[in-house]
Amino acid sequence: MSEYAVGTELPELRVRVTRSAVVRYSGASTDFNEIHFSDRHAQAIGLPGVVAHGMWTMGAGLKIVTDWIGDPAKVASYFVRFTRPVVVPDTDEGVEVVYTAKITEVNDGIVKLGITATCGDDAVLGAARAEVRVD
Amino acid sequence: MPISAEHVGRRYPAAPPYVVSHAKIAEFAEAVRDDNPAYFGDDPIAPPTFAAVIAAQAWGALFGDEELGLALNRTMHTDQNFTFHRPLRPGDAVVAELSIEKVRNRGNLEMVTVLVDLLVDGESVCEARSTLMHTRPEEAGDE
Repeated sequence: MSEYAVGTELPELRVRVTRSAVVRYSGASTDFNEIHFSDRHAQAIGLPGVVAHGMWTMGAGLKIVTDWIGDPAKVASYFVRFTRPVVVPDTDEGVEVVYTAKITEVNDGIVKLGITATCGDDAVLGAARAEVRVD
Repeated sequence: MPISAEHVGRRYPAAPPYVVSHAKIAEFAEAVRDDNPAYFGDDPIAPPTFAAVIAAQAWGALFGDEELGLALNRTMHTDQNFTFHRPLRPGDAVVAELSIEKVRNRGNLEMVTVLVDLLVDGESVCEARSTLMHTRPEEAGDE
């Protein structure tokens, strides 16, 4: 148990997202909501333009935990709140999402982690947390 | 009449099973930019959030229920929770059962919490709980 200490910070993860990456996630996930490829539809619900799928932001972010624990089958739970959308400009560079994670609790073979995700100055995930089995 | 608390507890019949494949797992792992070797090779597992692909297909029942008046392109996903019992693997025939857990109406916004239980051979492999925020068009408002 001593190898998992509360307060330990995992190595930061940076993931770049472009319009092309958003389209790729639409295909892989079969989520073809128009707000992920049409500025017109995104603006109709008050967004500045095309946004990444919340599930992409969530899915890409879990890598910070699975890179650390190794085996993704050890992930027992994962929660996120989508606080701000990741707005993806129509440029070659797109935008970068930066993830951090820290151990918040170690109990009964379960390590709990708190996760943050930011894009520019915005926290794009809130209250994000995962649990992994370590016994 | 739009969706309301009256619809809490409504359940939808499961769609035909979703059969997990090597190709779809690899495609999804690439889309979330994750090269973990567990997702590739002869005996891969699916990335944990792949469960959302199957869960979101079950949402089709929700958007297809005309009584609720929900449109996918007016919907934002506000939170997501997964409990994983075991990873999905190629060949798993996954049955997704959707139920409406909670509905809150605020002006022209509707906050809907749905639970999708993913089952393989009758055994739960993952529970995916999602809160969706739907913006009702003004012209269809009841004011």
